[in-house]
Amino acid sequence: MTRPRTVATARRNTELGLALMAAIVTGAAYTLAALGKNAVLPPRLVAFLIAIVGILVLTHVANRFLARGADGTLLPLAALLNGIGYVMIARLNDRLAALQTTWTFIAVAAYVLTLLVVQRASDLARYKWTFLLIGIALLLMPLVPGVGALNNGARIGVYVGGVNFQPGEFAKIALALFFAGYLAERRELISASTWKVGPLRLPEPRYLLPILAAWAFAVVVMVAEKDLGSSLLFFTLFVVVVWVATERASYLVIGVLSFAAAAYVAWRLFSHVQLRVALWLDPWSRYGPETGGRGFQPVQAIFAMADGGVGGRGLGLGTPNKIPEAKNDFIFAAIGEELGLLGATALLIAFLLMIGAGLRIATRAERPFEKLLATGLTTIIGIQAFIIIGGVTRVVPLTGVALPFVGYGGSSLLGNYVLLALLVRISDSTARRLGETPDTLTVGERFTAWRKRNDQTWAGRQ
Amino acid sequence: MNSRIRKLALALLVCFVVLFVQLNVIQVARQGRYAADPRNNRQSIRDFNRPRGPIVTADGVVIADSVPTSPGDNFKFQRRYPLGTLFGNITGYYTLNFGSTQLEQSFNKVLMGDTPAQDLQSVTDLFKGDNSGSVKLTVRADLQKVVAQALGQRTGSIVVVNPRTGAVLAAYSSPAYDPNLIVVHNTRKSEAALRFLQAQPTDPLLDRTYQENYMPGSSFKIITTSIALQSGVLRMDQTFPVTNSWLPPQTTNPIQNFKGHNCGGTLPEVFAKSCNIPFAQTALAVGPLGMTQGVKAWGVDEQIPYDLPSPAASRFGQDAAKFSRTLPLLAIGGFGQGNDAMLPLHMALVASTVANGGVMMKPYIVDETLAHDGTVLTKTSPSPWKRPISTNVAQQMTQLMIGVVNTGTGKKMQLAGGIQAAAKTGTAQLSTKGPQRSNAWIVGFAPAEAPRYAIACMLKGGPGDDVSESTGGTLCGPIAKKVLDYLFATDGRG
Repeated sequence: MTRPRTVATARRNTELGLALMAAIVTGAAYTLAALGKNAVLPPRLVAFLIAIVGILVLTHVANRFLARGADGTLLPLAALLNGIGYVMIARLNDRLAALQTTWTFIAVAAYVLTLLVVQRASDLARYKWTFLLIGIALLLMPLVPGVGALNNGARIGVYVGGVNFQPGEFAKIALALFFAGYLAERRELISASTWKVGPLRLPEPRYLLPILAAWAFAVVVMVAEKDLGSSLLFFTLFVVVVWVATERASYLVIGVLSFAAAAYVAWRLFSHVQLRVALWLDPWSRYGPETGGRGFQPVQAIFAMADGGVGGRGLGLGTPNKIPEAKNDFIFAAIGEELGLLGATALLIAFLLMIGAGLRIATRAERPFEKLLATGLTTIIGIQAFIIIGGVTRVVPLTGVALPFVGYGGSSLLGNYVLLALLVRISDSTARRLGETPDTLTVGERFTAWRKRNDQTWAGRQ
Repeated sequence: MNSRIRKLALALLVCFVVLFVQLNVIQVARQGRYAADPRNNRQSIRDFNRPRGPIVTADGVVIADSVPTSPGDNFKFQRRYPLGTLFGNITGYYTLNFGSTQLEQSFNKVLMGDTPAQDLQSVTDLFKGDNSGSVKLTVRADLQKVVAQALGQRTGSIVVVNPRTGAVLAAYSSPAYDPNLIVVHNTRKSEAALRFLQAQPTDPLLDRTYQENYMPGSSFKIITTSIALQSGVLRMDQTFPVTNSWLPPQTTNPIQNFKGHNCGGTLPEVFAKSCNIPFAQTALAVGPLGMTQGVKAWGVDEQIPYDLPSPAASRFGQDAAKFSRTLPLLAIGGFGQGNDAMLPLHMALVASTVANGGVMMKPYIVDETLAHDGTVLTKTSPSPWKRPISTNVAQQMTQLMIGVVNTGTGKKMQLAGGIQAAAKTGTAQLSTKGPQRSNAWIVGFAPAEAPRYAIACMLKGGPGDDVSESTGGTLCGPIAKKVLDYLFATDGRG
């Protein structure tokens, strides 16, 4: 039986080609960084190359079996970002590189597992309240005595069984799932806006209440955990998804206004917020130890990027270790130093392409839930990248969030690969519905059917 | 919902465009500003891993160079100063965290190979790694050694100049420091050495040849006399009455000669004996305007044009209008007291001017800068700085200064082998009350008939020490003699 060359097959082939290109870029960058830093070829280079090509091919094969019709650019883009990030981390610190390798394997395994478990994206809508509870539980975890850990003054880490992880990275996905599920169901009711408050027309309070409560809860917890970056991320996610769902600009206006108010209140109330703003406006005067030294890192990040210039210092040839947190919050500055304006812009473009792919998935999806979920997940990636890159380049105040796929951190990598798997799944579901790939039974459904047949057989025998 | 999603895409695109614009601001538009920020030492770190060229004396002695470090060092090269304290004030030091000074600072680009000419050369032969240049000086290592020995442990400085060109042949400032102690790569040790030197009351990091001015005492009479001769107020056959006290206008406080002696006679006599009153009277005779304009013609009150960083200026104190109201100050300024303050390098140039027929050359210490392959990048050509007096007055001044050495206060500078020197001594009295504090000077040149070397020696006295108790002639005279004798003894060789 000859198989017709479908759109889906073309996508998978494109994906394989792009993924191999990402592997080549990563392998070359890895070699150059080692040559630049130590003037010798990296040890175990062949093993490294086999590992990245192997992991990419395996993931690609997983896509072929589990998500045939999905968009072919998401995985290669993630691989490229992850690869460049890994090269930078390996170039900064060997020990962290080993950990990041482990986390990459785990994250990719989680990606495949997510594709296996979530066979049809729309199934997830059923569990929206579960996701809300999971999201709330994850957000509360760092505040629980005994497991909560302080990172740089923010209470966002959890320390369990010798592993430090950040539940916020998973909470954002859970909340995106909840927002999408809830709004997909009630968006007409919410946008009906029958409740008049002065000049504003708002939906009935009872439809708005759960979602407002979820949002307020997230924000309050974030403030208690002093994690401004995640707070901003949740806020944006909420406003964007409500706006897209209801198609009413008034929510955008209300969102921006309430954000401004919340920001002002937070600035008045909390010294750590004041410090962030002060460091954003003028890190230069807070550089030396006599002024507390809090401006040292942002100033060094600016110096590092400026030193990179247009072409960059070259991998392994800069001095990114002058920035204490170059491995996570400031990894973009390290990339800007060694790869220059060109490399940093390439990274920005990679994120833009990922955003484009994600939002294209959202527009192509037919069911509101899938649309809203794809929108929410893409917004998370885009806004998170903007917040941290903007923080490092002083476009916005610096708030510590990880640069998706690039920065060091197991939870971040794990969470983002799960997020990617969900986007891929939505894309695949749409392709099936549009007939771009035969809507055959999924692997899971076949497994269920097989089990049922066996059960019947067993039942028949008895 | 799709239209909203497209708007969202547009909004995110705008966000990233903003990031892109900001990246351009940081990495392109403001790159130079951030690179120049003193807190940003990325360029220096790179420089420390590149070869840096040597600084070489006129007689070919390397006084600063870079050598590869042993494994384990943070950087690939270590800066060395093989002669230690001898040239510290000239080379300066070159550090990662504490900046650089002197030639290491002002000729950094040549030494690193970063001048446009060197860059161009490195483009033509791309595969040559080392592009560092070198700096060749006019100073002589052998002479600098003699000068340092002659100065000994005293605080002060000696400058030897070629009067015809302005080339500095020796410039030693005491106490000196060893830049090797500062350029160690261990930041803590480096900082400790620098802090220690900065804390010394004698300030070894200061170059006393040109970065600080000192009261010149009677050595300033060269300038006063020259101005008076040039303007015709004074003639060689002028006689001054013998007296020990004279009351200038606007005061009740009389001026006395050194130690209250009786002093007077013809101009050559009072110049050789270094009476004070005749020159106080001469300064007043020239007048406030004549004196202030006169010293200006000698380069006083003007930053000295030198090729080492942060040169100071000699001072005559105040403007003509103020002097008209304070004539006693002008009178004592005439013999180098009051507000007068001169750089030792400038005083060597004053002697050079007399030796060079009235033309003061621009002083310089860097003879050539060279590319890595030895091609000359720049060569200093001697150029005049000031023309304060005519050849005729220069000849008259030479006669007066010969008198100082032969019959006056500068007898100790009479040279070996019958070579005629010309000089003027100076003993600047810094304190009127309490323990005596004075600076001892001698400025001069030799041979008087065809001058080849000019010298200025300045010793800074402390309260009640031997310099303060003595005179310029007795202290600086033998030092200048030692240096000039060495110069003439070695002239035939080399």
